[in-house]
Amino acid sequence: MLETLGYLTLSWLDPWLLMLTAAGTLAGIYVGAIPGLSVTMAVSILISFTFKWSVNDALALIAGVFVGGVYGGSRTAILLNIPGAPSAIATALDGYPMAKRGEAGEAVGLTTVMSVFGGFVGIAALALFAPLLADFALMFTSRDYLLLALIGILLVGTLSGESFAKGVFAGALGVLIGMVGLDPMTAEGRFTFDTITLMGGIPYVVAMIGFFGVAEAFVQLHRLDLPAVKQKIDRVIPRLADLRRYFRVALRASGIGTVIGALPGTGGDIAALLAYDDAKRATKNPQVPFGEGAREGLVAPEAANNAAVGGAFVPMLTLGIPGDAVTAVIIGALFIHGLKPGPLLLVETPHLFWFTVGNLALANVFLLIFGLTGIRIFTKIVECPKAVLIPLIIILSAVGSYAIQNNPIDIYWMLLFGVFGYFLKVYGFQVGPVILGVILGPMMDANYRRAMIGARNDPATFLWDFLSHPISCVLLIAFLALLISQTPLPRLARAALRRRRPPDREAG
Amino acid sequence: MSPRAQRRPGELAFAVALLAFSLWLFAEAYKISGFSGLSTPGVFPMLASGLMVASSLAILVKVLAMGPAGGGLRRFLADITPLRQAVMVALVFAYIAAMPYLGFLAASGLFLFASIQFLWRRSVVLTALVSLAGLAAIHVVFTLVFQVVLPKGTLLRGLI
Repeated sequence: MLETLGYLTLSWLDPWLLMLTAAGTLAGIYVGAIPGLSVTMAVSILISFTFKWSVNDALALIAGVFVGGVYGGSRTAILLNIPGAPSAIATALDGYPMAKRGEAGEAVGLTTVMSVFGGFVGIAALALFAPLLADFALMFTSRDYLLLALIGILLVGTLSGESFAKGVFAGALGVLIGMVGLDPMTAEGRFTFDTITLMGGIPYVVAMIGFFGVAEAFVQLHRLDLPAVKQKIDRVIPRLADLRRYFRVALRASGIGTVIGALPGTGGDIAALLAYDDAKRATKNPQVPFGEGAREGLVAPEAANNAAVGGAFVPMLTLGIPGDAVTAVIIGALFIHGLKPGPLLLVETPHLFWFTVGNLALANVFLLIFGLTGIRIFTKIVECPKAVLIPLIIILSAVGSYAIQNNPIDIYWMLLFGVFGYFLKVYGFQVGPVILGVILGPMMDANYRRAMIGARNDPATFLWDFLSHPISCVLLIAFLALLISQTPLPRLARAALRRRRPPDREAG
Repeated sequence: MSPRAQRRPGELAFAVALLAFSLWLFAEAYKISGFSGLSTPGVFPMLASGLMVASSLAILVKVLAMGPAGGGLRRFLADITPLRQAVMVALVFAYIAAMPYLGFLAASGLFLFASIQFLWRRSVVLTALVSLAGLAAIHVVFTLVFQVVLPKGTLLRGLI
C-alpha cells in the first residue's frame, strides 16, 4: 500500500519529473491548439526523441502532452472557431458563439475547469477498474486477444472516415506494414523481397510519423491562411455558481467519455460528439439554445474528451490494446522501452501503472494552472503562420525518423508514407486505422496462429473453441454484431429505395 | 452520411491503383507459404491482403457509381496535387538527399529557407532571420534537451 502511494506520488515529488510533466502539459496545450499540429503527431515524434531516456521521464513528458493536447484543441475552437484537434469539434459549436458575445474568457475558464474535472473522473476510473480488468484479463486466451484486436480496428474503421470499406482497407494496410520483416515465430522473411533492409521490418514509429506528421503537413498546405480573429478576453476564472450549475452535465459527460475512451479503438473525438449529443437531449431548458453559445454544450464535450484520456489507458495498460490512435502510439513507446502492455504489466511492473496514474493526475493539475493563465500570450503564438510551421514540422519529422535507428533510409520511408498518407487523406481515408493495424497486426498474427496451433490446425475445432468458451463467445457476438451493422446490406436496401426517387445530385 | 454524387478528381485512378496494389500484395503474401497450412507465416498476410483486395473492390465499385469529376487533368492538378504540394515534396526529397553530404544543420537551414520563402513569400531578409531562429531552436532542443545524434555531412568532414 505504502509502496503504491510512493509510485503514485513519484512524479509529484521528484522535481525533474515534475518539470517534465509541466513542460509536456504546456507544450501539449499549444500542440493541441495549433490547427495542423496533432497530439498523435507530437507523441509519435516525441517517442523517437525520448527512447533513450528512462521510461519514467519519457512517460511523464508523453502523458503531459497527451493531457494538454486533448484540452488544447478547445482554445482555438472557442477563440477562432477552428477546432485545433478533432476532439474539439463539438466544443466549437457553442464555444465560438460565446466568444462572439464577448464571453471568450469565461468560456475558456469553464472549459478548463470542466476538462480537469473530466480528466480526474477518467483517471479515477483507470485506477479503480484497470486492476480489476487486468485480473479478469488473465483468463483471456489467444482467441480473445485476436477478437479484441479485431474489434478495436473495426471500431476505428467504422467510426472514422467516409466508408466502412475505406476503414477496413486502412486497417488491413496497417496490419501488412506490421508484418514486413522476419516472422517472429519461424524467422521466415515476409515481404522482404530478399533485401536485408526490409528484414528488420519497417519501424512503426517511422510509419506513424509519416502518416500523422508529414501527411498532415502536406494536407495543411491546402489551408495556409488562418483567419486572424481577435477576441476580447476578460474574466477567466469561472464563477462558483456556474460550476455547481453544470456539475451534473459534466459528471454525465465524464462517464460517457470514460466508457467511450475505454472501448478499444474509440477515443476523445467520438466521446466529445456523443457527450454533446447527450447533453443536448438531457438539457430541457438551456439558458441559451444549443449552437448559440449554450454553456452545457461547452462543458459536455470538454469533460468527455478529457475523461476519455484516462479511459483510453485502461485497455492499453491491461490488455495491450490501444483505446485510440494516441494510445496506439504510446503502446509503441512502451514496446520501445521494453515493456509489454497487457494483463501482466500490472503484475510485473505495478510501479509503472501507478506512476502513470499519478502522472496523469499531475498533468491535470498543471492543466488547471496553465489553462487559467497565459491566454493573452497564447492568442499571439497560435497566430504563427503555417508557412513557417509546416517546414518546421517536416524537419522535426525527419529528425524523429532518423533518430530511431540512426538510419537515413528511414527518412525516405517517412516521405513515402507521408505522400501515400496525403493521398489517402485527400480521398477520404483515415490514417488512424493504419496505425492501429501496425501495432495490432503482429499481435493478431501471433494470437491467431497460437489459437490455430492450439486447435491442432483443425478449422472445425478452431471455430468450436470460439463458441464453447464463454469469454470468446461474448466477444465473438460483439464482433459479429459490429460487423453486421456495417455490412453493405442495409445500405444497399436504402440505395435501392433512393433509386426509385429522382436522383439527388446535391447530396454530400 | 449521404454519398457524394461526384468523384473527386483522380479518385477513379486512385481506386484502381489501390486495387492493383492490393492484388500485388496478395500475390506476394501467397508466395510466403501458399496454402500449405493454417498456421503458417503466410496465412495472416494473405487474410489481410485479401481484405484489402475485397475492400478496394468495394471502393472501386462505389467510385464507379459516382459521376466523373470533370475538369480533367487541370482540376486534378488544382485540387489534389497543386504546385505547392509538388514543390514541397520535391524540396523534402532534395533535403533528405542532401543531408548525407551537407550534414543536418546546413541541409535543414537551406530547406527551411527555401520552403519558408516559397510558402510565405516575404522579404528574403525576414525569411533568413526566421529560418535562422527556427534552426537555432531545433539545434538547442535536439542537442541539449533530447541529445539526439544528428546526421553529419561528408562535405565538411562532419564539422557542421
